Amino acid sequence: MNRVAIVTGAAKPDSIGFAVAKGLRREGCEVVVADLYEQGFPALHDCLCIKTDVADPGGVDRMVLKTIQTHHRIDILVNAVGGSWGITQRDLIASPPRGFRGLTNCTLDDWRTILGANLDSAFYCARAAAPHLKKQGGAIVNVASIAARKGIPPGAEGSSGPYAVAKGGIMAMTRQLALELGEFGVRVNCVAPGVIASGRFNRVSQISKQDHGPEGPLATIPLGRVGAVAECAALIVALCTDDASYMTGVTVDINGAAYAA
Amino acid sequence: MPLSGLGGRRALVTGAASGIGHAVVERLRQEGVEVFSTDIHDAHGVIVADLTDSGDVERLAGKVGAIDFLINAAGGPVAPSKSDTLPPLSAGGISLEDLSEAEWAKVIAANLTTAFLVCREFAPKMKARRFGRIVNFASIAARRGSSRVGAHYAAAKGGIIGLTKTLALELGPHNVTVNAVAPGFVKTERIAQASWGHDSPQAEQAFISSLPLRRAGRPDDVAGVVAVLCSDAGGYVSGATLDVNGGWYFGP
Repeated sequence: MNRVAIVTGAAKPDSIGFAVAKGLRREGCEVVVADLYEQGFPALHDCLCIKTDVADPGGVDRMVLKTIQTHHRIDILVNAVGGSWGITQRDLIASPPRGFRGLTNCTLDDWRTILGANLDSAFYCARAAAPHLKKQGGAIVNVASIAARKGIPPGAEGSSGPYAVAKGGIMAMTRQLALELGEFGVRVNCVAPGVIASGRFNRVSQISKQDHGPEGPLATIPLGRVGAVAECAALIVALCTDDASYMTGVTVDINGAAYAA
Repeated sequence: MPLSGLGGRRALVTGAASGIGHAVVERLRQEGVEVFSTDIHDAHGVIVADLTDSGDVERLAGKVGAIDFLINAAGGPVAPSKSDTLPPLSAGGISLEDLSEAEWAKVIAANLTTAFLVCREFAPKMKARRFGRIVNFASIAARRGSSRVGAHYAAAKGGIIGLTKTLALELGPHNVTVNAVAPGFVKTERIAQASWGHDSPQAEQAFISSLPLRRAGRPDDVAGVVAVLCSDAGGYVSGATLDVNGGWYFGP
């Protein structure tokens, strides 16, 4: 029987999640995509696409129920949804907001929206999927950020203070879930990407200085380039497979040596 | 699915006669990599070399030529020598007062100097070809400390993490990535023979039951992570140390 994977935040065609969904299809998985961006569903015709607001626990429960009704099991959960903008139905295709939203100048609505999409979403999905993952074992991969390691420099366009905090929470959640699910053969790991050439990065680049990514100047990346969506997705897929059979609770930094934790 | 970016590449694996190093050789060969292997202990057809000797390292490079992947698996808590290539692992812990200067120097040399000398020998060719992947071997002893292996081994492996980060900065502009893996309790043949780490089978079982994944590591658990770091999935990972320990310790 094929393994069944849920990938959140996978419908935008230039996203890391989209490449993960396609990568897991190549690994032979049945893939369920949970996303608000319905316009992207036709490009994922080989996946079960379920329109889901992952910041809504009821919506997540319905998505997991439909997954079980269709595929009868869950082996893999990749929590790829996230970002500081473009994360609600209202601003899904909006341009990035101008100006830096730090912890001391963001609105409470910014805080709740960003924490909801980046941190609560992974909690809701992990909780709803856990009973099914525990039946036969499997893997969860979360997506943190270099922002969790080093913060977002004030002034940086396209990211935010609440985002850095949410991604730090993702790393802590990874460790906690690893402890709770290890005995059931469920491994829980995390990647912390630096600057990856996703659609989100490309849209930020259009408004910010060309030589700056959301986390600062690109010229300081030792590997001399931003990361490709494909290589970040390949790492996430690898963490879902037996290649990472003895890794759990770990955050793997993928940032071109920009920040060695 | 095989990992992409491995087939047709050339690799050198040090410490390849046994244990995790040998598992890395087998895994990379399965992926279609042409693998050269070396060890101070003559087994599995390795090129015999003492990598604490820069002359030996230079001669090794003459035999191997240019490589794409360098896996520095050589090392261990008991240092071998040309006359005793596979010294037994001590059963008990090693306290600070019992650690002689000679033993300190030998273990630092076997675990840290070897990686330095081999990187120094092979990195220039990687830079010239604008491609390379280096994977060093740290240890959980460097991450959380250890009550068993001795301060010399933990210090050497901590040095590996500093070496890894610094070489990642230095070699990054030349499209060479440098990472480390930090294995936890991996039950290699040598460690099993020495009943190593635990005073009784019951104590060992109790320890293993305390790990989130409820099992000891196997050499191929670590070899899989090394293969991922060499593959396209590792292309943007550099300066990182990957903990492979079943949840024993989560790293920074």
